[in-house]
Amino acid sequence: MMKKFWIIIGCLTMIAVLAGCDKTRRSPGRASMPDMSYSRAYETYSSTENLKENGINYTARPVEGTIARGDMASYENKNDSTGYARSAVVKNPLDFSTIDMKEAERLYLVNCAICHGSKLDGNGPLWNGGDGPYPAAPKNLLADDMKAMTEGTMFHSLTYGKNLMGSYASQLSTLQRWEVIAYIKMKQGGTATTTTTVVADTTAAAIK
Amino acid sequence: MIPCKLIGKRLFLLLLTFFVSTSINNVSAADIAAGKALFMSKCASCHQVLKPGTGPALAGIEDRHTWADHNELLKWINNPAAYLAKDAYTQGLLAQYKSMMTAFPDITLVDVDNIVAYINDAAVAKAPPPGDTNAGAPKSNSNAIIFGVISLILAIIALILMQVNSNLKKMSDDAEGISRPEPVPFYKNKVYITMFALLFFAFAGYQFSKAAVGLGRQTNYEPVQPIFYSHKVHAGINQISCLYCHGSAWESKHAAIPSVNVCMNCHKAIGEYVKGPTLYDKEGNEINGTAEIAKLYKYAGFDPNNPNDWDPSKAKPIEWIKIHNLPDHVYFNHSQHIRAGNVQCQSCHGEITGMDEVKQVSELSMGWCINCHRETKVDFNYTDSTGNKFYSIYEKFHNDIKNHKMDSVRVEHIGGLECQKCHY
Repeated sequence: MMKKFWIIIGCLTMIAVLAGCDKTRRSPGRASMPDMSYSRAYETYSSTENLKENGINYTARPVEGTIARGDMASYENKNDSTGYARSAVVKNPLDFSTIDMKEAERLYLVNCAICHGSKLDGNGPLWNGGDGPYPAAPKNLLADDMKAMTEGTMFHSLTYGKNLMGSYASQLSTLQRWEVIAYIKMKQGGTATTTTTVVADTTAAAIK
Repeated sequence: MIPCKLIGKRLFLLLLTFFVSTSINNVSAADIAAGKALFMSKCASCHQVLKPGTGPALAGIEDRHTWADHNELLKWINNPAAYLAKDAYTQGLLAQYKSMMTAFPDITLVDVDNIVAYINDAAVAKAPPPGDTNAGAPKSNSNAIIFGVISLILAIIALILMQVNSNLKKMSDDAEGISRPEPVPFYKNKVYITMFALLFFAFAGYQFSKAAVGLGRQTNYEPVQPIFYSHKVHAGINQISCLYCHGSAWESKHAAIPSVNVCMNCHKAIGEYVKGPTLYDKEGNEINGTAEIAKLYKYAGFDPNNPNDWDPSKAKPIEWIKIHNLPDHVYFNHSQHIRAGNVQCQSCHGEITGMDEVKQVSELSMGWCINCHRETKVDFNYTDSTGNKFYSIYEKFHNDIKNHKMDSVRVEHIGGLECQKCHY
């Protein structure tokens, strides 16, 4: 009698073990050498909140006036109505002939097409003719008012945001923003007035 | 049976309301459709029907100011700057919303009538229905239980059959008059005990070494994140590119976690979760998407009722829990893999576009890395515009391919198995 009892107990334990395997794993488990697995150094995304208490000066911002290698000087107009008005005369400092349009297209498709559509028709997946989750219609970049908008104003809006559109300065560098603007202008049927400011010629070539 | 009189009365009332409503509104479906087309192309960038966006919500517009008179409304729409100069109400609007309305000089009085007709229609149609019920239940994974029950039943049947077998044998022996010695029960049989012990040690040893190797590996790790962010909704249903949020994977070692302002690029406008499927966490609890977006607003310091007052610099970072962790002594670079190597995100991270909660799909062990480096073929072409010019330096491999000595170059051939590539 005892024998059968133990066999049944054994079977039940097996079932419990098997059923237990299906659980969602909410903890990372143990590490054999925790100080190797989890870095003791300050890595990306380490909290920097208590650095000041330890006498370490940390601002997380680049030193003012410095330019990242391969990027270009930052945009000088301020985010206000005068800056917006002034932006109309700002020209794209990149030389149209040297812009890597494939890269510009990639940047547009990743960052802009989600709302403004891969065809620039203002009908990206988030709007989807009013059926998408986004409640406001994105601008149709091929519409006449957008064709009339100067590249400088576009750049200003891309840098600081406009209406419901947020600022893309954190996602795209100054150079990348100008590349995207050049791509949009090209798709709009081209401001073929190739600007010959040579500020960023070398950097544009270097980034590739 | 329902009295006919009551039905007649109801029918009469219905007809009455129908006639009254049509005579008051006097709008046709065509007007509303024309209004909708105009609204979508001209107004929808800044105005929504029910909620304030860049400009005020337009539902109930005829009850405000003097807008019931469409001629006044037309003057405002055609030339807001001129109208504003003489009108305190619109000056107040400008102070509240901080952006000047765009002029639409092409809009005519008929257009205004149609647009208002659409707004009135949409305001009724889009108002949230009372007592919204949610259908559908979470899928519970009951496979394990079914398999367990089946194996239990099979085990019991096997036991009974063994018992029957030994009893029958004993009976036949008794009938034939053969007297055998009382059989040794199996748990005292030395052969059985030895076999069992050997099996036990092999099994336990395998399990023990497996557990020891698995220390620090986090396959299937799926932590509860501070906000229930569904990759399925964002990257799957809404087709947002992985690089929209994790753009630095293209340019740097890390596939960075987006800062709050990147979330707010869209969520400044999207304040509620209504159009997607009902969300459930792994425990089967229903998730209220709108409440999760409200959590984001709290981190961002964003007040949805006052969208224009938001100051992004006051936002607090969201402390997402890191899932994929490599030890300190391993170097891994995202851009090297996805940009130079053309590896898809999904190759290592699994079907992210189908995951509500992200879990670690790959083992991220050294064996796993090395295996991929052994199997992955390198796109060795460097001549056309899509190719990588770097590969031109491997003269021998190019010659070998030309002479059919090797059919393809894999990552291991160009140093993918060198220790110092990842450990230095």
